[in-house]
Amino acid sequence: MATDTTSSRRFGDLESPIVDADFHLTEQVSDLVPYVERPWRELFIGHNPFDESAEFFDPFPSAGIMEPHITTGRAEIFSPDAVRSADDVEAGMELLGVDLPVVTPGAVMLSVSLVHHDEVAAALARACNSFVLDRIVDETRDVYGTITIAGQKPRLAADEIDDRADESGMIGVYLPTGGLNPPLGDERYDPIYEACERAGLPLLMHGVGSGTMKSFPVQYEGFSRGMENHVIAHPFQHMVNLVSLVVQGVPERFDVDFVFQEAGIGWIPYLMYRLDNEYYARRDDAPMLSRRPSEYMTDDFYYTTQPLEGSQNAPEYVCAMARLMNAPECLLWSSDYPHHDFDHTNEIYRVFAREFERPALERIFGTNAHEVLFE
Amino acid sequence: MTRTTDRSHHVIAASELQPGQRVLTEIRGREVGVFNVDGQYYAIGNYCPHMGGPCAEGLVTGMFDADDRGDVSFTRDGEILCCPWHGWQFDLKTGDHLGHSKLRVLTYDVFEEDGELYVRM
Repeated sequence: MATDTTSSRRFGDLESPIVDADFHLTEQVSDLVPYVERPWRELFIGHNPFDESAEFFDPFPSAGIMEPHITTGRAEIFSPDAVRSADDVEAGMELLGVDLPVVTPGAVMLSVSLVHHDEVAAALARACNSFVLDRIVDETRDVYGTITIAGQKPRLAADEIDDRADESGMIGVYLPTGGLNPPLGDERYDPIYEACERAGLPLLMHGVGSGTMKSFPVQYEGFSRGMENHVIAHPFQHMVNLVSLVVQGVPERFDVDFVFQEAGIGWIPYLMYRLDNEYYARRDDAPMLSRRPSEYMTDDFYYTTQPLEGSQNAPEYVCAMARLMNAPECLLWSSDYPHHDFDHTNEIYRVFAREFERPALERIFGTNAHEVLFE
Repeated sequence: MTRTTDRSHHVIAASELQPGQRVLTEIRGREVGVFNVDGQYYAIGNYCPHMGGPCAEGLVTGMFDADDRGDVSFTRDGEILCCPWHGWQFDLKTGDHLGHSKLRVLTYDVFEEDGELYVRM
């Protein structure tokens, strides 16, 4: 594995720690099953008649999307064994030059809200948290985790948040959103927001590429290539949930920091101005709001940077988008390591350094995330 | 008899680098991969212009291409170098990125003399 040749960061003038607000595990079904509690564990102990090579039945739906740079083996860093221990996390921190990674599941658990069996989904989330606490979180090495929840049964998700809230190594609540219907403004999800508020933890929302062809707008089913799906899967999922959360007044009703992960940034000013435009004409549709929608988007919501579109060929575009969304107040640097499209700290710093002075860079590269997740 | 001058740096005996093989070396502080592609030698810097990944350590493979009718084939097997970080693909012979006309990985001349391979840098 060629991961150790270019390690430390090439910029050194930030005094605040670099926080990576989206750093992934590559957890597998076999990591989780030993931690699944009874009675649901009984469902996993037989053989898998659909895949003779699998140790356990795989409950996570997939649309079987083939990503050529992954399935050909070209993006070697994104392997099943990339990040499955605290040592692996530390190797990634060194490679990226990151001081504090916010470790979230990034393999099978991204599809937990698509699992058809609601109680098993909750049991898998609980098992994942047991696995993360047992094998990953190590505060002495600055390795922190997040409380993963499944969205199907918000009451069970709230129980899981309550159960883990006192763990000092768990610094946020992580909701894989792929497949959730209705969207997140619906009152059925209120128990999740109440539990986040009780725990004083932010809610990190993460879309998924592989399962969304099953659950998202019906035209998705007409796609014939992975790229068609992946380029819009993350921002579209976030746009659906963000407009739902704002228009239903969730940020008026709950004191929770909401973090939208892994969709780049251009969609944010686009949605800010579109929402405001609509709001001026039909405030009656969102009577709970006391401010313009765009103000909730920059005051109450946070966004992670990766995959930062334009960083390679249009840095002026990145800077304009960052300026328009008031990035020093709401943007969190993230790598998405070790996924196939991860961003490297050095390259993204170079782009933002065209636009911002050191105080703003420190906010984007660590202080904002530190305030949301570690304080 | 091997020699290293100001600009010519000895790498390896040509007999030790067979078709399909590569060797990684360091020249003047730069990591370089030297490749044998069907008897021709190519040297590529081990630093991906995308985000700095160790591209000379990645898979050597081929590429998908399509004709005017959209029929897909797999061509140039053994001539395409892939960065192990993100899978970005480069033409081993020119260093050019396959999808980005302005992006290329550094390449260096390789020559053989008395059965030994040298890189010019």
